[in-house]
Amino acid sequence: MSIDDGLSRRLFLARLSALAAGATGSALLPGVASAATTAPPTLVDVDAPDGATTDPTSLTVAEAATLIRRGKLTSEELVRACLERIEGYDSLFQAFNLVLADAALARARQLDGSSPRTALHGIPLAIKDNYFSRGVRTTANSFIFADFEPPYDATALSRLEAAGGVMIGKTQMGPLATTRATTPAGVITTVNAWAPDHPNINPGGSSTGSATATATGMALSSVGTQTGGSITAPSNAQGLTGLKPTMGRVSLHGIIPLTFTRDHPGPIARDAMDCAIMLTAMAGPDPADFRTLGLPQLPDLTRAATPVRQGGQTVLRRRTRIGVTPDFLASSNPETAAARRSYLDALAGLRHATVVEVPLPAEWDLLTGTAFNNVRLPERTEPFREYLRQDLQLFGVSVLNWLGGLLLSGDEYLTGQRAKVVMFERVMDEVFDACDVVVQAQPVPFDIIGLPEIGFPIGLRAATSDTPVLPIGTILGGQPYAEDRLLEVVAAYQDVTDWHRRRPELPPAPAASAAPRAPSLAPARLSALEAARIGQ
Amino acid sequence: MADVAAPTDDELDALIEARLRLVGVDLAQLPTTEDPTTGSPTREEALTYLRSVLRNTAVTLSGWSPPPDDPALAQQVAPPALYPSSTDAWTGRGLA
Repeated sequence: MSIDDGLSRRLFLARLSALAAGATGSALLPGVASAATTAPPTLVDVDAPDGATTDPTSLTVAEAATLIRRGKLTSEELVRACLERIEGYDSLFQAFNLVLADAALARARQLDGSSPRTALHGIPLAIKDNYFSRGVRTTANSFIFADFEPPYDATALSRLEAAGGVMIGKTQMGPLATTRATTPAGVITTVNAWAPDHPNINPGGSSTGSATATATGMALSSVGTQTGGSITAPSNAQGLTGLKPTMGRVSLHGIIPLTFTRDHPGPIARDAMDCAIMLTAMAGPDPADFRTLGLPQLPDLTRAATPVRQGGQTVLRRRTRIGVTPDFLASSNPETAAARRSYLDALAGLRHATVVEVPLPAEWDLLTGTAFNNVRLPERTEPFREYLRQDLQLFGVSVLNWLGGLLLSGDEYLTGQRAKVVMFERVMDEVFDACDVVVQAQPVPFDIIGLPEIGFPIGLRAATSDTPVLPIGTILGGQPYAEDRLLEVVAAYQDVTDWHRRRPELPPAPAASAAPRAPSLAPARLSALEAARIGQ
Repeated sequence: MADVAAPTDDELDALIEARLRLVGVDLAQLPTTEDPTTGSPTREEALTYLRSVLRNTAVTLSGWSPPPDDPALAQQVAPPALYPSSTDAWTGRGLA
């Protein structure tokens, strides 16, 4: 009998679906992904700092979930607090496209009537508006999807809700997930939580609204997508911790594509533990997305994000070599360079940590530069060809990248895919031969080759006459499917520092202000050429 | 390599418009002046950007190949992979 006898593709897929449905006790509908996870997540109790319970919006996911499990806080109280924050401030921050107040409160009351056995039970979450939400408008901030109501949820969203998460709203984003959040026509919307009066200060894109919502307490955590830095950049800009997992860790089924081979869904949260809880809920095999199948099992991320102390001192859970590339300390901004040095000193001071110098692989600047980065363009064009034929103005300010994808030849696209293999091999052989995790001066290289990254705060930039206090962030990259190692390092760092606990000071709520706010003069919109240049 | 004259802006514009028309995309849909309602670029801005893609991206990609320099040997390495990190997991390390 030949190897392909007896197991047709149809039967193979049916078995996969049955396995997934069996795990949830529900049948799979066509096009509807499973909410199965591979193993029940570890529930970790985290005590809230003194005084934090007076403002539940300031809690981390882990702290709030612990209070809910102990009967000290209800989901309805928590959701109401976030909704009040939204009502008071979203006219200023413009983090949301759509607020689902009634649905969120109804879901919270429903959850309050059941035993809290899941890690996200009753936690309000902000969802980027490129995740399908069944029957709820999903626009990706584009004219194209202005009236689109998906027939099913994105797999990642259904998993978050199965874990007890409460979708409080859909967030502002760069049009089609390209730039910082703007209207489809390029008018700047969401502002940085630390600088609401300075719309010219970049809040990070394209998961801007998710980050601003999390930083301002409009939600306790959120999800974004990263193709060229769109989880780590807004996390760095707004003092948050964001985890872009390895390609395939989280299903892309039901997420509007920007670049098939580089889109990564992941959490934007307040610390490493919250990233662990969120990613544990989102991750896992999905029969509707082959990229999630046949991969290493998800490690126990909440364990990884739990700091280890020995003899009263924080230690790394495992011996870990932290690689530093030559470009990392070469920042032209002295405050950034100083923060990076202090960060490396803090890491070097952790037992079981070794900071080592590692080289940048050969041809690094070339293979991560604009031309090779542009290999992504045909991937955004291909699924949108019909819209390009219909009306170019449907793409608003973002059209240029989509037109550019029509001009690269097939052989040039393949050259780009071969370059990815060369880059991946060089990173594995030349960088990860000498270290377990590596600092990142910018996120794009690991987006190109699908490796995990975590962005988190390491300092604050002092206020100047023109700018307020702003967070300084950094990025750490890891080996394929080794998100646990990244979380171990960041959890230990966050156990010995408090940058992740710094919150932006909210101004008086606009409705209560005696005088109208006066934003500084700033570019009110992005041009199409700017959008093409800076888009992820 | 043969000494080939670089194309002019006019030649590239003709190439761009023909390529787009070939697949049913019409740059004439873009405005001739700024349109704040849609944020669309002008047709001239689009051509400027697209010429840049051809002159920089296409030329750079076309001029690169994996090492070694001998093209007969370069053919033998780095077969294209859309998902290198996933492929690494699926195959058990080692793509080249």
